Amino acid sequence: MTGDKNAILKELEDGVKTLQQEMAVEAARKALAAGVSPVEAIEDGLAKGIREVGEKFAKKEMFVVELIYAAEIMSEAIKVLEPELKKVASQRNVVGRMVLGTVAGDIHDIGKNLVRIMLEASGFEVRDLGKDAPTEGFVSTAKEMGATVLGASSLMTTTVDVQKEIVDALRAAGIQAPLMVGGAAVSEEWAKEIGAHYASDANSAAVLAKQLVGKGG
Amino acid sequence: MAEKFKPGKFGMKRFEVMETRDAEAVHTKSLHLLEAMGIKVVSEEGRRLLKEAGAEVDEKSHVCRIPSYLVEESMRRCKRPVRMAARNPKYDFVLDGAHCYTCTDGVGLATIDLETGERRPSTLKDVADSAKIVDYLPMMHMYNPLVTPLDVPKHAHTVHEYMTALENCEKHFTTGSTYQKEEAVYQLKMAAAVVGGWEELRRRPIISNLTCTTSPMVLGMTTDAAIEFSRAGCPPLLMAMPLIGATAPMTVAGAVVLGNAQVIALATVLQLAAPGSPLCYSSEPMAMDVQSGLFEGLFPAADMVRAAHVQMAKHYRIPIFIGGWGTCSKAPDVQAGYEKAFSAFIAYLSGADMTSGPGLLENWTVLSHEQLILDHEMFTMMADMLKGFKVDDDTVPFDVIMQVGHEGHFMGKKHTLDHFKEMWQPMVTDGRTYKEWKATGGKNAVDHARDKAKEILRTHTPQPLSEDLRKDLKVLVAEAEDAIPHK
Repeated sequence: MTGDKNAILKELEDGVKTLQQEMAVEAARKALAAGVSPVEAIEDGLAKGIREVGEKFAKKEMFVVELIYAAEIMSEAIKVLEPELKKVASQRNVVGRMVLGTVAGDIHDIGKNLVRIMLEASGFEVRDLGKDAPTEGFVSTAKEMGATVLGASSLMTTTVDVQKEIVDALRAAGIQAPLMVGGAAVSEEWAKEIGAHYASDANSAAVLAKQLVGKGG
Repeated sequence: MAEKFKPGKFGMKRFEVMETRDAEAVHTKSLHLLEAMGIKVVSEEGRRLLKEAGAEVDEKSHVCRIPSYLVEESMRRCKRPVRMAARNPKYDFVLDGAHCYTCTDGVGLATIDLETGERRPSTLKDVADSAKIVDYLPMMHMYNPLVTPLDVPKHAHTVHEYMTALENCEKHFTTGSTYQKEEAVYQLKMAAAVVGGWEELRRRPIISNLTCTTSPMVLGMTTDAAIEFSRAGCPPLLMAMPLIGATAPMTVAGAVVLGNAQVIALATVLQLAAPGSPLCYSSEPMAMDVQSGLFEGLFPAADMVRAAHVQMAKHYRIPIFIGGWGTCSKAPDVQAGYEKAFSAFIAYLSGADMTSGPGLLENWTVLSHEQLILDHEMFTMMADMLKGFKVDDDTVPFDVIMQVGHEGHFMGKKHTLDHFKEMWQPMVTDGRTYKEWKATGGKNAVDHARDKAKEILRTHTPQPLSEDLRKDLKVLVAEAEDAIPHK
């Protein structure tokens, strides 16, 4: 049984890191059939794979297209595990809980999607509000999931002001979790001015998020 | 050579600088010049061959009036397609008119030192280093010594260059400054030793000879060396170098006709010497700065003559090796970048099989290792456009487009994963964010190229020659030093 389990976990990991969707999805089915806990299947299988891809991407050994495809494979495999995942009471042991979105009025979300992948690869639970996300959504979702950090992106100069609105709305609602900001229109100075934290790309966003929740060096 | 390093199959390459009737006029006017005015042939053997074939030869002035039928017959005889082989057969390629290749050009006399940044006389080590870099760069297909080493016996420098190139570069070799018959004899002996005999050399010519005609209307002593190459089945590249306004009329068309007449006259001599042998058209015109009288390789008029000569080579259905990538800039800078990009791209768009000149500055007289890396980078960008693209069910993935729908994206799709490696990727071009760039020293393109050149020289080792072959070649070099005429 242990041998089987280890083999299945290895297939989950390899399916993600060698970009073979069929292998990962099939391994997820095998995991359910063999009675492997879905939390373990994610933590010790899929997530290990995506972490390795994330690290290689950061070192420029893998390409952005491969990173996104690996994330896609991971989410397809998680879909298979989902019914069981809901049954088990135990929560995933996450590094932090994050609310992420591209601010209201802006639809440029590809960079934000990269941030989500890197954060998930680093062990965060991420609730992604998508693009053109209303400010109230950041506040209510943060309350609901007990967010330990938030992230808001803006590519356009016409929508950066919304990031300040988000900080103000969070503080007014009594939420003290730090807000990370990024996107082409954002600068370090602007982040300081509005009491937020700046990350210039997906890699540094993952490093910064870990620091902000006290889990990284 | 792997298909991905041979750009051009579906490419653009359709640009024509002249109407078809103008190209025909260039041909008939060239024939008329050769028949009515004749060309001065310094080579005794050249005159003998022409005379025997029916040309009217004046032994006093050395002017040979060549009948049109003889020229046209000779142009038909040239071997097609032309194979360019290499020390390592994996680098062999065939000039089929559908692909683009790149060569370094000669011959500079100075080098911008990679360590000190100072301009100094060039050495044999510069030949070795540049050969090694060309061996490494995937889109450089052939090597012509970029500089003449000033630290070897002057009369035998070409055989020393060949020896050093063989030791440091496994790709096809072109000799750009072989002026004497004896130099050609020894370079060919060396090539035959490398491939294992004369028959094999004829089948796989690993050496070619860039041979210059002289404007206006002279075939010099270099013709004797070119004849040796033709007889060995190794392609000479027949170069015209009209200086617009000085050794050619002050018009693009005048320089085109004069250059063309010289090239087809030399082709006639070589086809008489070795019927059915391979050869290539070649051109390296220069234009005058009309204010100062200085000659510049890359002024627009010279680029127009180049494009017209590419069209003439197509007219004769023979491959063309076109000089380009020149610049009058003294440093690897913005001027070098735009002059080189314009000239190389127009040559390739016109359908040039090969261009030469990466790595040289100041009208092909000064070697910059940084510029060699940057020119290669530019060529990879051009090649990515020249290769063109297919339109079919795989390249237009209807199902994937429908699946992504409105407002989605293609980044996580298998189709994207399957195709992204076809995209151009930089070697030294800096596409990073300002923050990252600033944090790593704010280096410019030349700085990146310098780092890359140093890295290549530190880490790249071409396959060494076998010890026996090396010894044999050394013996030939020593013999050549005695045999090549010198004072």
